[in-house]
Amino acid sequence: MRFVSFRPATSVLATTALLLIAAAPSQAQTRAETLRYVTGASVNTLDPNIPGSTRESFALSMSTYDRLVAFGRKQLNGKWVFDLDTITGELAESYDVSPDGLKLTFRLRKDAKFQDGSPVTAEDVKWSLDRCVTAPILGKAQLLTGSLTSADQFKVIDPLTIEVTLPKPDKLALPNLATVYPMIINSKLAKAHATPDDPWATAWLKEHTAGSGAYVVETFKPGEQVILKRDESWNRGSANKPAFFKRVIVQSVPEPATRANLVERGDADLVVDLQASDVQSLEAKGKLKVISTPQYNAITYVSMNNQMPPFDNVNVRRAIAYALPYDDMFKAALFGRGAPLFGATWPDGKPLNGIYPFQQPVKMDLDKAREYLKAAGLPEGFSTTFSFNVGQSSTAEPMAALVKESLGKIGIKVDIQKLPDAQMSTQINEKKLPFYTEGIVAWLPSTDYFYRNFYTGNQRWNYSSINNPDLAAIAQEARFEPDKAKYEEAGRKLNAMHFDLMPQIMLWQPNQDAVMAPSIEGYTYEFHRQVDYRDVSRK
Amino acid sequence: MTTGLGATVVRAGRRLLSSLPALFGVLVFTFLLMRVLPGDPAVFFASGPNAGKEEIELIRKQMGLDKSVPEQLVFYLSDIGHGNLGRSMMTGQPVLKDLRERLPASLELTFTALLIALIAAVPLGVIAALRPGSIVDHGVRLFCALGVCVPTFVSGLLLIYVFYYLLGLAPDPTGRIDVFTSLPPQRTGFLSIDFLLAGDFEGWWAACKQLILPAVSMALFVIAPLARITRASMLVSLGSDFVRTARSVGLSWRKVVVTYALRNAILPVITIAGIVFSTMLGANVLVEKVFSWPGVASYALDALLSSDYAPVQGFVLLMASLFVLVNLVVDVCYGIADPRVSIE
Repeated sequence: MRFVSFRPATSVLATTALLLIAAAPSQAQTRAETLRYVTGASVNTLDPNIPGSTRESFALSMSTYDRLVAFGRKQLNGKWVFDLDTITGELAESYDVSPDGLKLTFRLRKDAKFQDGSPVTAEDVKWSLDRCVTAPILGKAQLLTGSLTSADQFKVIDPLTIEVTLPKPDKLALPNLATVYPMIINSKLAKAHATPDDPWATAWLKEHTAGSGAYVVETFKPGEQVILKRDESWNRGSANKPAFFKRVIVQSVPEPATRANLVERGDADLVVDLQASDVQSLEAKGKLKVISTPQYNAITYVSMNNQMPPFDNVNVRRAIAYALPYDDMFKAALFGRGAPLFGATWPDGKPLNGIYPFQQPVKMDLDKAREYLKAAGLPEGFSTTFSFNVGQSSTAEPMAALVKESLGKIGIKVDIQKLPDAQMSTQINEKKLPFYTEGIVAWLPSTDYFYRNFYTGNQRWNYSSINNPDLAAIAQEARFEPDKAKYEEAGRKLNAMHFDLMPQIMLWQPNQDAVMAPSIEGYTYEFHRQVDYRDVSRK
Repeated sequence: MTTGLGATVVRAGRRLLSSLPALFGVLVFTFLLMRVLPGDPAVFFASGPNAGKEEIELIRKQMGLDKSVPEQLVFYLSDIGHGNLGRSMMTGQPVLKDLRERLPASLELTFTALLIALIAAVPLGVIAALRPGSIVDHGVRLFCALGVCVPTFVSGLLLIYVFYYLLGLAPDPTGRIDVFTSLPPQRTGFLSIDFLLAGDFEGWWAACKQLILPAVSMALFVIAPLARITRASMLVSLGSDFVRTARSVGLSWRKVVVTYALRNAILPVITIAGIVFSTMLGANVLVEKVFSWPGVASYALDALLSSDYAPVQGFVLLMASLFVLVNLVVDVCYGIADPRVSIE
């Protein structure tokens, strides 16, 4: 044969060239079928239940695991957002709520399989839910908010039916099962890796997935990237099809300017954590699709410690509320990208509805602020510190400067304190900060939930440290109120109390600015504030 | 020759031994420093939407923070003795594994940057020294001043803007390799070497392309000290007796400048290069951040911001050990550049 005379080097070159030619078209095709999502954060565990897991880990687990049920979606001002009131089956084919609201029955899909091919059974569901309420993991505190506290509440009826019993008809029980934590795990696989010290296989599940989700983890480099491959047999999507993208690359790019460059050049498809200024310029250029959704389950506050003088005096808190330059702060911090929670008008002085968060009827009025200070017995003002954390400095720094300037006009001398994130959370937890800005997020945003978690108890999330028994009692009662009109009435009462007591000042709900290639469709704002990769597709 | 080599090895060994107490000191000092810093990592990491007291306690226990500080120190030291640097809360991985994966990335970047810097700086310094006070000399001075006064992240962002965003010549600045390229089997951890070993030249070129911009932005910053020191020491060496003698006997220009003057002038440059290397390795945080380079410095910074103790302690220990090693290498290089040194 003639080929024998070919030198090895030449043949290697020829083969490489051939391979290259063969590989080129298929690679181009893969790019269109690949979603490259870049983010400033990173995935640090494959099990979102592990204490310390990041928001990106939450989002990842939504695609690698299924839950019994999932939230639907609705349009809010023309943008898709998750819908707390529509709960559809995910692993459950259908579900029933008993008339007294104490029993939830879930019938599982017959065709649902884990990624290793074994069928999803009621036993797996029970093990997973038991794990969530028993093991020392994050799911415990979350499910508690839906009256799910003990393994006895989950009962296997037959291999495809599971029953959940509630001590009280809790409205949040069902939505809780759609959140990140109560994911359904392949119990046989997980048990095989459990140890006597770790009966719930938390150590193993941190590094491995054992789910039935839409995507299989191909490579996982903590802090760098995760590559996901589509599970072709997954059919829990809306149209009984697998997810759109064959591959998903979740890549950490710490520098926000670089993320903006990547998406603008078309090298990345989707990003949700750009700086407001970059979003604005990208939107102005008009080459990319920008979907801005106010994070309607998140709120940014200016908080005051209600137990610490002088903020224990309600008139001081009111004075601050009328001395903040809201409009300037909104523009400087967010470029106006968000939903304001100030500047409402209440014609009869009463809340417009019973929904929290709400727009308060406050605006900058220095004369009014001075009057309140006088009423508080501090006409000359006082000195205090205003703190924010380094991680938020791009929005909080300009805001703090405006607060300082404006409060200076009514005699309140403010020292700005910029704290490293860990230090800030410690001081908030220990209730040592008098005056600061921080944000919150609630996965299941209902009025009573906000008031119970953020306005009661001596705990970290009660930023203002308010201790008002009436408010706590109304919120607690509203939790189990089945009558919609009465619930609304309780909400109005709570909102009126909020405005009267002014424990802290609600500023705004910042936008989630999702910037994406024009070909990306279906982006939905989810409760965990990250992208659900199953939502998106390419035209 | 063998005795010279033997002496060098003995000297190196002795140096290594004498640095152990210093390393131990660094270990304890970093440990205490982290504990003294305000900020409770457990509270920071327990930041799920419902994380309360229970979760905070859980994390505290997981991190071993429920024990007293002396107890923690004893546990920590015994862990180190067993080669265990602890676990990072941030990445959820053992610190040793994280560092082992990230160190080659930082080393590869720093070596390349140092190489670029030396290749640029030594000739610049020599040229400047040959014509002191001339236009060339001033040009070199201006270039060095510019390099030093532009912070690395600014030059990094500028390079990205021009070569990636405007011209599209450079690949996207996201780490060591394009996400669509498959990685070579890991041997050294240096991608440019691993690709060569695997015979994948396309991959090698891809890795090199990723490396050029960050390496250049780092190199720009350190060219100045290297070039200035080369110039100064060349001036001394050119004005010395042996160079005058060499010139007077009519040796070639090349022989005079390169063999006699430069060889004698290179010692301080090696010293500075050693110091520059160590500082670059720890201080290239900004370059690593801008180019999403998965190196140790950005890892340590993230850990520090979130009060994640184990990675910071591991990083400082690593840096201290590397510093000891680099000093050793510099010593050995001295011996090669100037045989008189190794006799002592």
